[in-house]
Amino acid sequence: MKINLNQKVTDNSIFFLSLFIIILILSPIFTIFLENINQKSDYLSFFSSGEFQSYTKNSIIILIPVLFFTLFLGGLSSYLVSFYEFTGVNFFKYSLLLSFAIPPYIYAYTLSAFFENFGIAYSLTSFFSEDLSRKFIPKIEPLTGSIISLSLTLFGYVFILTRSTFLNQSRDLIEIGKSLGFNNFDIFFKIIIPTARPAIFIGLSLVAMETLSDFGTVSFFGISTFTTGIYNSWFIFDDLKTANFLSLFLVFFVLFFFGLENLSRKNIKFFNSNNSFNKKNKKTLLRGYKSFLASFFCFFLFSISFLFPLILMLKWSLVNSSFLDLDQILHLNYNSVKLIFLSSIFIISISLIVTFSGRVLKSRALSFFSNLSISGYAIPGIVVSVSIISLFSLIDSFFNVEIRGYFIGSIFGLIFGYTVRFYSISFNTIKTVYLKINKSIDESALLLGFNKFSILKNVHYPLLKKNLIFAFILISIEVIKELPITLILRPFNFDTFSTSAFNLASNDLVEVAAIPSLFIVLWSSLFIFLSIKFFLIDKK
Amino acid sequence: MRIVLLVLISLFFFSKSYTNELNLFTSRHYPSDLILFEKFEEKTGIKVNLINAKSKVLEKRLLDEGSKSKGDILFLADAGALYSAEKKKLFTKYIENGPLKLIPTSLKNEYWLGITKRARIIFYNPNLVDYDEIKNFSYENLSNSKWRKSIAIRQSNNIYNQSLVASIIEHKGENFTKKWLNNFVKNFSRKPQGNDRAQILSVAAGESKLAIANTYYYALMLSGKKGEEQKKAAQKVKPIFPNQNGRGTHINISGAGILKFSPNKKNAQKFIEFLLTKDAQTLLCNSSFEFPIIKNVPTNKLINDIKNFKEDIVINVSSYGKRQAQAFKLMKKAGWN
Repeated sequence: MKINLNQKVTDNSIFFLSLFIIILILSPIFTIFLENINQKSDYLSFFSSGEFQSYTKNSIIILIPVLFFTLFLGGLSSYLVSFYEFTGVNFFKYSLLLSFAIPPYIYAYTLSAFFENFGIAYSLTSFFSEDLSRKFIPKIEPLTGSIISLSLTLFGYVFILTRSTFLNQSRDLIEIGKSLGFNNFDIFFKIIIPTARPAIFIGLSLVAMETLSDFGTVSFFGISTFTTGIYNSWFIFDDLKTANFLSLFLVFFVLFFFGLENLSRKNIKFFNSNNSFNKKNKKTLLRGYKSFLASFFCFFLFSISFLFPLILMLKWSLVNSSFLDLDQILHLNYNSVKLIFLSSIFIISISLIVTFSGRVLKSRALSFFSNLSISGYAIPGIVVSVSIISLFSLIDSFFNVEIRGYFIGSIFGLIFGYTVRFYSISFNTIKTVYLKINKSIDESALLLGFNKFSILKNVHYPLLKKNLIFAFILISIEVIKELPITLILRPFNFDTFSTSAFNLASNDLVEVAAIPSLFIVLWSSLFIFLSIKFFLIDKK
Repeated sequence: MRIVLLVLISLFFFSKSYTNELNLFTSRHYPSDLILFEKFEEKTGIKVNLINAKSKVLEKRLLDEGSKSKGDILFLADAGALYSAEKKKLFTKYIENGPLKLIPTSLKNEYWLGITKRARIIFYNPNLVDYDEIKNFSYENLSNSKWRKSIAIRQSNNIYNQSLVASIIEHKGENFTKKWLNNFVKNFSRKPQGNDRAQILSVAAGESKLAIANTYYYALMLSGKKGEEQKKAAQKVKPIFPNQNGRGTHINISGAGILKFSPNKKNAQKFIEFLLTKDAQTLLCNSSFEFPIIKNVPTNKLINDIKNFKEDIVINVSSYGKRQAQAFKLMKKAGWN
């Protein structure tokens, strides 16, 4: 009897703790809703002015080509490295992931500095003929520039996701196809594409979410999209309410994609379930010009997505090395590492609690809300930070307390902001492992007299450990690149690489901004390298 | 594990605390400003704490923090941004003593004052435009059909452009400005894009005959900080200060005010007085290439070369703030993207 009562108390405390965490993560999203209900701004004039239409139009004009290019670049490169043997294939299958290390807005800076009038392309070519180089250097229009920057920094999502399906499923089916007399064309369109469809879909919906919530790139090129619309209505019309309304619209838009993604994720599980035999890597060997073309394509993609911005940043950093002293750089490193550790440990701990209780309690309500709570990833950082400021003002005035001082302009606030945004990463990473751990293990442990916490400690933790580290790496990559939340919620005298790059770039000192940007890229590359080394190496 | 925890805890609580300090909210971010703050600390023993972000973000934070805010001074670029903060009652009145009296009345009001100033002017390519064609140029001339498809300017969401158009509304009225904008937009040589420097580069490359940009971008390019090519490009263009025979050239400011709930008001007043000393003005302007707000302040050659011109002191810069949203609507309506 006594044991049962204790059990009940533990169950309840786990349940309420998880619920509290979920509410915490969802609270900024609730705030956006509340602020919309609470207000009397006149949308009509806004809609009739045609602004809304032009935001939507531009967002879509950017989104569609970006989806097309990321599908083409990510899909084709992933297909090549997964199914064919050609020069450099072992290098490309990992190095193409490095494009993740370049934030889209930093790509945008380098792209425009390269092609602008009297830019780097001009310096490189004007040696031969000033007129000719002026004539032949292409002019990067704002829309083209945004599309290129986003496509080349986001195609990695399609690449990595399709690659895992290509590696896992298709090979067996291809063998079957071959035995049925399919030619390569048939195999590609009738087998490879259909089986990879869910992965392609997830990749593209991640690309879509990143594109829609992008602020840095489009604002650098000066295009009015949804996110810059949020910004304009706030900054120019001084109308935070319309900004909130637009945010809400964006949240719906993005939740829609998220829903689609969730649906196709379910399909993937189905595909994964009967994949246990014959993983021998039987790649087709390419020869002659075919091998050359494949290598050339991958090398070209690697060069423009990673080498090009990296080399420019290195060049600028060397030329402008006098601008930032060693002391400052050490300090920026210290700040960034501090944020990475504090926020990842916090995020991983709470997502571990929620996933664990989801597993042992089997509560439907909990699982519904915890699925909803991962939507924070889709909300633009600028919206998250504004809603966090509003949230604490609401709490303070409603409960007549003074707690916002502890969150606005403090490390706690930053960690809270990161948690809202990046919780989904660690939640999903942990959940994937939990799905694979057989539940009978839990039951056996219970029979052996373990209580729930010792199951977590002694049974689950050893199995989860590897993925906890993986979650840590993924969160670190995001935190080090994060700009808007850091910019808005950080304490006095507190800079990270991203805020420092942003400040310098807004002063029109893009070249000096290369130094902090380079560190962002180096740190992210290090993390990507670690994750490749420990988690992504496929068995040969 | 315990060591890790200890390190983490110490990370949280490790921070120096000063009793005598000043909390500065600023939208400026010049590395050299930091040197200035150190000098202030040396001189007064007051430590300057800094937070920089875009103006509205600072505004939002200050509003939400209300009376609990630790902010002492708000320092923003563009008079429109200062006006917006003033309208939200963020400032308290400063004491007009010492160097504060030297600031021209059109560049301050009772709540905030200009610390540095800049002009939005025209740049032309002497290979494409004769000096005689342009020597008596005015902003109003920008709409002349003579310049069809030959003017480079950045987008309408840029606050400097909004302030310029706001000043035209203030001088000439809305109807005039509407017509002026409709014709001016036809004169764009390309779809508005890029920053001010990109407009100057477009003229240097011969793509456009005229460009509109702030003075400090030109000086920045000439300084060589943007590289040799850009320096050479800037040497290919010439500046023209519009409306010299009339009201004078459009002037804007970077300015500051003391915050209403400032816990260190005396330090804040001292800081503003410090920013207006000759040494501080020289330091501020030599790095940002803005103009000093006080007369007879020594500056470097690049600034000296362009600093003598007639300024528009007819209207107070706060009128830009009043009319910015109106200006933006008109600009959008005229098709200025």
